[in-house]
Amino acid sequence: MRAIKGVLLQCDPAVKQILLAMNEKQSFIIEELDDYHLVIKADEEYRIRRELEAELEKNTYSLEGS
Amino acid sequence: MPAAVVPDLNTSLPTQHTLIPFLQSQSQNTLTRLYQKPSSCLAIFRLLAPLERQLVMNLLWLESAIPVATMAAWVARDGKKLYDAAVVNLGNLHILPSSMVKLALNSTFKTSFRHAITGGGTSGSFGVPVEKDDKRPALDLGALDSYALERWETILHYMVSSGSGQYPSKPSQGVLYLLQRSGLMANIHGALQITSFGFQFLLNSPHEQLWNLLLQYLHMAEERQMDLVEVLSFLFMLSTMELGREYSTEHLSETQKAMLEDLRDYGLIWQRKPNSRRFNPTRLATTLTSSSPPLPTSTTTSSGPAEGFIILETNYRLYAYTDNPLQTAVLNLFVTLKYRFPNLVVGTITRDSVKKALQSGISSDQIISYLSTHAHPQMRKNNPLLPVTVQDQIRLWELEKNRLKSQEGYLYTAFASQADYELVLNYAKQLNTVLWENTAKRCFFGSLDGHANIRGFIERRTGATG
Repeated sequence: MRAIKGVLLQCDPAVKQILLAMNEKQSFIIEELDDYHLVIKADEEYRIRRELEAELEKNTYSLEGS
Repeated sequence: MPAAVVPDLNTSLPTQHTLIPFLQSQSQNTLTRLYQKPSSCLAIFRLLAPLERQLVMNLLWLESAIPVATMAAWVARDGKKLYDAAVVNLGNLHILPSSMVKLALNSTFKTSFRHAITGGGTSGSFGVPVEKDDKRPALDLGALDSYALERWETILHYMVSSGSGQYPSKPSQGVLYLLQRSGLMANIHGALQITSFGFQFLLNSPHEQLWNLLLQYLHMAEERQMDLVEVLSFLFMLSTMELGREYSTEHLSETQKAMLEDLRDYGLIWQRKPNSRRFNPTRLATTLTSSSPPLPTSTTTSSGPAEGFIILETNYRLYAYTDNPLQTAVLNLFVTLKYRFPNLVVGTITRDSVKKALQSGISSDQIISYLSTHAHPQMRKNNPLLPVTVQDQIRLWELEKNRLKSQEGYLYTAFASQADYELVLNYAKQLNTVLWENTAKRCFFGSLDGHANIRGFIERRTGATG
């Protein structure tokens, strides 16, 4: 038996696909559990959150046009 | 004596005043010392629930104790629950020592409270008024009110604009410390910032806000080794004073004199000079234990929920009929403000503005409840009050922020056999640390704090078999 240290991410399938695409560029996923769960390296979490936020931000329309 | 305890149709227990639980947590000794002051007894009496007040009044003029059964006979069956709760409550306050046989008021409380009602005695517990000094006239009521309002709003305004980078006039060091201690503001990156709890605080009525802060003050007083009885009795004394009258500081104890400075900062009292030998309680102080509003209502500037000022349209546009910088600053937390006129502020609720608010720890429900409590009377014709589109969108924006949940821990995998897997999994489940499991893949994810236990468990097992 093995115990691997990491961070469990819970997300929706759409976010998971974005994460998988990000993983291609720079690998951080330890294990894909199912559509809603992933285990990633603990020290990468902050970077992932930031990049995901930027990615999601591209898909929103802002009234202020900023 | 009234014939019966009127059964309340609404059997749910009435809400308690915030101070009561604090008093109940004090020792009997402390409370008895507090009850030596007639003004404290009167003030506490005013904080009690109506039924509790009635019980106290019923027993107050009895010289001897009455059997519990006699009292219980007055209670209709529907009111039994309320009556029992009231007796327990009074028992916890040591006003009505709990007894299975006889009921009688705490004798100290009885004597002092009788004093408070009938007058007499020279204890000066209601404050010692001083004669008018013609050379140095006191403030009139209007000036006193605006002083109190200015002080109070300075505190709130400071809290609200802390996140925006602009700093209005700072309250004193003591107030800042109190705000930080009470968790309303937190020190983030070296500067005080309003917390999520602080935003909720802003939504409360001024009376609740005041007591919330004073409660923190009381907790602090314990740490500063101030005598709690002195602090409490001074607050109670203030609450029974007459607005617009000047009182002498000469009969105050050292602790109470030290409190004058703090209370000046909160706007509870006014003094001409810091070392003046007379002080004026403001409306904030004299309404502490009464149901009248603590801030003058004539000025529309007070943030009371009685007068709504916000109109919200389905297109996310918000019109706020206000010229109060405090209210404008509160709105600025979650609205992109566009125009500002002498009596009107116009803005839009946008994704960015709400996101900014969410990031500073304000929840969507808090935003919505603020908007509904301060909705303009015109808005009240609408049903539902706020446009559904806007409400839903604010909630959706909050959900959007939480698309990713994370938790640190360990992934347990590669078990030798199904039996092994189930054994460890069951153990982890007992510890309540399993966050995710999959029997087919024979692995599970446990939280960080369970790891030491699980590792120990496995080591013990392999040690036993091997």
